[in-house]
Amino acid sequence: MPILSVSDLVQQFPIAGSKAVVRAVNGVSFELEQGETLALVGESGSGKTTIGRCVLGLIRPTAGAIVYRGHEMGGRRSVRSAELRGKLQLVFQEPAESLNPRLRLFELIDEPLRALQVNRAERERRVRAAARRGGLAESLLELYPAEISMGLQQRVGIARAMISEPEIVVLDEPTSALDPTARAEIIDLLIQIQRDLGTAYVFISHDLSAVRHISHRVAVLYLGMIVEQGPSATLFAQPSHPYSVGLLSSVLLPNPKLKRETQIRLEGEIPSPIDLPKACYLAGRCPLVQARCRERMPAVESVEPGHMVRCYRHREVARQEQAVDYFARFQEEAERILGAGMPPREKRPAIQ
Amino acid sequence: MGATAAVMRGTPAHELERAATPLLSIEDLWVAIPRYKLESQQVLRRIDLEMAPGEVLGLVGESGSGKTMLARSIMRLIPASGWIERGRIRFGGQDLAALNEEELRKLRGRDIAMIISNPRGELDPLQTVGQQIGNILRYHMRMDRTAIRARVLDLLRQVSIPDPERRLNAYPHELSGGMAQRVVMAIALACSPKFIISDDATSGLDVTVQAQVLELMRKLVVERGTSLLFITRDIGITAHFCDRVAVIYAGEIVELAARDEFFENPQHPYTLLLLAAFSHNERLRRYWLGEDETRKEMGPSPTGCPFANRCVRVQPRCRSEHPSLRELASRHFVRCHFPVER
Repeated sequence: MPILSVSDLVQQFPIAGSKAVVRAVNGVSFELEQGETLALVGESGSGKTTIGRCVLGLIRPTAGAIVYRGHEMGGRRSVRSAELRGKLQLVFQEPAESLNPRLRLFELIDEPLRALQVNRAERERRVRAAARRGGLAESLLELYPAEISMGLQQRVGIARAMISEPEIVVLDEPTSALDPTARAEIIDLLIQIQRDLGTAYVFISHDLSAVRHISHRVAVLYLGMIVEQGPSATLFAQPSHPYSVGLLSSVLLPNPKLKRETQIRLEGEIPSPIDLPKACYLAGRCPLVQARCRERMPAVESVEPGHMVRCYRHREVARQEQAVDYFARFQEEAERILGAGMPPREKRPAIQ
Repeated sequence: MGATAAVMRGTPAHELERAATPLLSIEDLWVAIPRYKLESQQVLRRIDLEMAPGEVLGLVGESGSGKTMLARSIMRLIPASGWIERGRIRFGGQDLAALNEEELRKLRGRDIAMIISNPRGELDPLQTVGQQIGNILRYHMRMDRTAIRARVLDLLRQVSIPDPERRLNAYPHELSGGMAQRVVMAIALACSPKFIISDDATSGLDVTVQAQVLELMRKLVVERGTSLLFITRDIGITAHFCDRVAVIYAGEIVELAARDEFFENPQHPYTLLLLAAFSHNERLRRYWLGEDETRKEMGPSPTGCPFANRCVRVQPRCRSEHPSLRELASRHFVRCHFPVER
């Protein structure tokens, strides 16, 4: 039983002084299981953040349903309502901007518990535990956000999201503002927390390396529509939608030998969500475009159970793409190149 | 793959070595800026760097490492309060330090151009694309209006802006981020400079657009034989885009090598730290980064190696003696007493 199910979500925003609307989300459906990470990937303007906000009930969808444990979200039922308070949480992209600069770290982490009316002794205990879980030393708790690095600020953001023991956390680009050295640390922390607490994540990101590592399933978004969805390992090794291929081949891993080489090169840029293409949204940029792509929106097809794609020519795409998971290859190469300078691994007695 | 993929892979190293006279050479450059109530801070130290014509050099470093300072020193655009303590920057045989403001103004934009991030912030919101590209042509090339118009259209076409005639009259706010970045590139290319500095120019773009812009940049550089100093925080870009890669840490170059050698045989512990940051392998990261967050706060070691306080392999000698930039293999330079061997 999924804890969250989103069906046919549509979100449009009116433009003041105009009859036109921004079509941010155009019929998105997905489910989230307990303790699972679903990544929403796509470029800016693909609707990732809007979906996240709908999931939290912060905005009421134009159409479609978001059901969390039998409760329909939106309107009065949101993260703000008493019955759902603390069950769904959000971690922001810019840690510095999302933390009140005039509160000490202790108070920042404590804030959600105040809203939940937890007594003082219990709060004290839980704040310290949450800080420890977030990898923040006790001595830091008296500092202000401006006194610590961005990586540590994001740990505060995570600690305060986790303190109410939420079931679902929406992570909206939690690493993109950080230095590369801090990124993997934050990803590992999130994985560790998920292992310990069984929290489900909606992980919004365009950092595909992080996505490959943290997520169980991936949904690729383009102009507010899921063009491909499937288990991360499958989708990264064998993308079936031209846009997924374009996205994956644009990733520049720090190894000159590892780059997805492909015939499928996307041209131009993402069109405006005010004036959407009539049929397939990618038609104007796709090298495999045919007449039917401009006439009718392709239906969602299942490549294999759990792997869905919205493209007429997905079989050809999959056939002509090499089935290589460059992210996994990179990890192997890293082991070889970086492992070389390390002291030999300690031999542990084999466990029988 | 096709031709574009070959372009992305770069110029072979042997072809670069043929170009004997460097276009740009920096010798022992030190730059300082004052700090309130504290001793002035040396933001660049012991910078030695040469760039051949037609070469793309990637300069990688974290924020605050001195990347932008280096770019601005070459352009002689360091903040007014800062100064060059010592060292020499020679460009095409000319000593840049000896030039006066008037001579520098003639050089900037014509021979050396710079592309920075945040393209929309760089463009004047009150002037059209055509006017802004035209300005530089009028100033440096003394072209007349018809010649300028033709050249601007040509430039817009070169940076793959669709429908250039219409874009000529567009204002920056009418452009997407990728388009604005192309316009900035067109301005940089306007006078066919010999040398371009790109300072984090693609960091704000979406990945598919970044891929297009990089490919375009590479193509233009190769076609024109322009040298490009590509400054970035993303070591991943340099692996696919640059001929050589340099790593800068706390104002010093700590490793410099040809691209394939650099990624196959990285030897400075800081380079390994940067690479390990990308590996989602706890064992590797635990070792190379250690408790990096805490040690990072300690700042560079004042006497010895600037990286000593963050280095997992630190030894007593690292804290007392400053390491020099040594050539460990052919054209592979490392500033470390105990480079990583394999």
